[in-house]
Amino acid sequence: MSTAQGNKRKFEVYRYDPTQGGEGHFDRFELPVQDETCTTILDVLIRLQKEQDPTLAFRYACRINMCGSCGMVINGREGLACKTNVSDFPGDQTITLRPLNHFPVVKDLVVDMGPFFQSYESCLPFFDPKEPRQEPAIIRPDSEERQTIGLATECIACGCCVSSCTMVNCHPSYAGPAPLNRAFTLLMDSRDGLYEQRLERALASCYHCRTEFNCTEVCPKEISCTRAIKHIQRLAMKDPFRRREPAPDAASQAGPAPAAAEAADSAADPEMSRRRFLTGLTVGIGATSTLLVGGVLASTFAGPALRRKPPHWIRVGGVDAFPVGEVSTVRLTYAETNGFYTQDLVKPILVWRQPQAPEFVAYSSTCTHLGCTVRWDANQRLFLCTCHGGAFNRDGSVKSGPPPRPLDRLALRIDNGNLLVKMV
Amino acid sequence: MDINIPGKRETDMQPNQTRIGDRRPLEWGEFDPNRRRHLYVGMWAWLWQRISALAIIVLLALHITLTYQPWLQFLLLLAVTFHATLGLRVILLDFNLVNVKYQRALIWGLAGMGLVVFILIWKSIY
Repeated sequence: MSTAQGNKRKFEVYRYDPTQGGEGHFDRFELPVQDETCTTILDVLIRLQKEQDPTLAFRYACRINMCGSCGMVINGREGLACKTNVSDFPGDQTITLRPLNHFPVVKDLVVDMGPFFQSYESCLPFFDPKEPRQEPAIIRPDSEERQTIGLATECIACGCCVSSCTMVNCHPSYAGPAPLNRAFTLLMDSRDGLYEQRLERALASCYHCRTEFNCTEVCPKEISCTRAIKHIQRLAMKDPFRRREPAPDAASQAGPAPAAAEAADSAADPEMSRRRFLTGLTVGIGATSTLLVGGVLASTFAGPALRRKPPHWIRVGGVDAFPVGEVSTVRLTYAETNGFYTQDLVKPILVWRQPQAPEFVAYSSTCTHLGCTVRWDANQRLFLCTCHGGAFNRDGSVKSGPPPRPLDRLALRIDNGNLLVKMV
Repeated sequence: MDINIPGKRETDMQPNQTRIGDRRPLEWGEFDPNRRRHLYVGMWAWLWQRISALAIIVLLALHITLTYQPWLQFLLLLAVTFHATLGLRVILLDFNLVNVKYQRALIWGLAGMGLVVFILIWKSIY
């Protein structure tokens, strides 16, 4: 027999019998394939049905990649059985054939494409001209519009993209890649009269795309539905304040009745109320986090200036260490904490011990003119500032030079024979 | 909407058969020993951005409670870089700043750039 010739290939085909029910199972087949480069998976299925199991069910029509009937999952990847050759898989590999995901399985490899065409219809997949024409329209192939649409019109609605998408089954309102691609080709067409209605519906579903590119990877026609979906999303940005028409009259005239009814009761749709809830939640979370972050930033910048610093009482020295009638210079070392940051400060202060009460007077060494450090000149008996020649008397009053006011006095107290000054 | 599908009609049945009906739709990857061999890089990009987002939540909480832990800083910086890289990918594609046909190269290019930035930041800290 001629079938005995050639390489024996192993196949696993998913079987589901609607009279038996259950989860379904894989049947193993072995088939000698003479020329693998000239044998498609569809050829294999036809031969298996003829030679080994006549109950095997699958769907096909054109056999030349035109009709999109034979879409299935071949070794984990969606594709057309008539476009995939046996030689695409290494000789020792078992080829697994399985129906498309996300569609009810009628029998074996045959799925119910009803849900697909339902969502296809929801995107208004038909051309509705703005103005009636007698002559065919002339479309320049190099026009920008035609270039943007590109090969997206080549879709044959095989359902491979929907099967590869991981989002269509999670979001009932998501039309899926192919329907949105169809909507894109018509939205880009300036002759089309249903722009508003179609955009409304496409925008209601296109944000469920997660940019996974699964549909682009598997498309037998090499169309990128992701590109189409991204285009639709950008259309929303083009004119966010466009007037929305509440009653799509043209759509209900031209379009199928269920599609219009679907739009009408979208207010009662749980998906819509869910979206409203999520919108509110997003706005709420955004506002809360803005307030929180803004509050933290504002208090970080404005806080230190507003905060009242607690006064430090710093020990200058024992009372006996200061000779009577003299001015002593003391370098105070203390730590100042500001928020998380603690810094060690060194500040000289000037202490005058008078013979009569009040015994002690402490001056800040900061010149009241521009903030240089003043020093005590014992010979002239003056506080001198070297920066601009300012001079202060021993009681702190200005003797000469530019200082506008006497030296600042520091509050002090005596505690247990120690002199303490208050530093702010 | 009720579409009439020939296979669903009772008249198609043999008289002695009882029809149970369609199997519920196969899930993505269900009944498919080869599915996970065919995960595409775009899908990983999406998945890993989700995972890194969750990781950031956990690591950020730990980072606030356990301050100045180098291993924690390392993991957090890694998660943030990864998340930012993949987020940048989506932004570039969303605004058509990069043609979608370069989507695979974009993932690897941005991931490489993210790694360089990560190393530079880590070197400047430690």
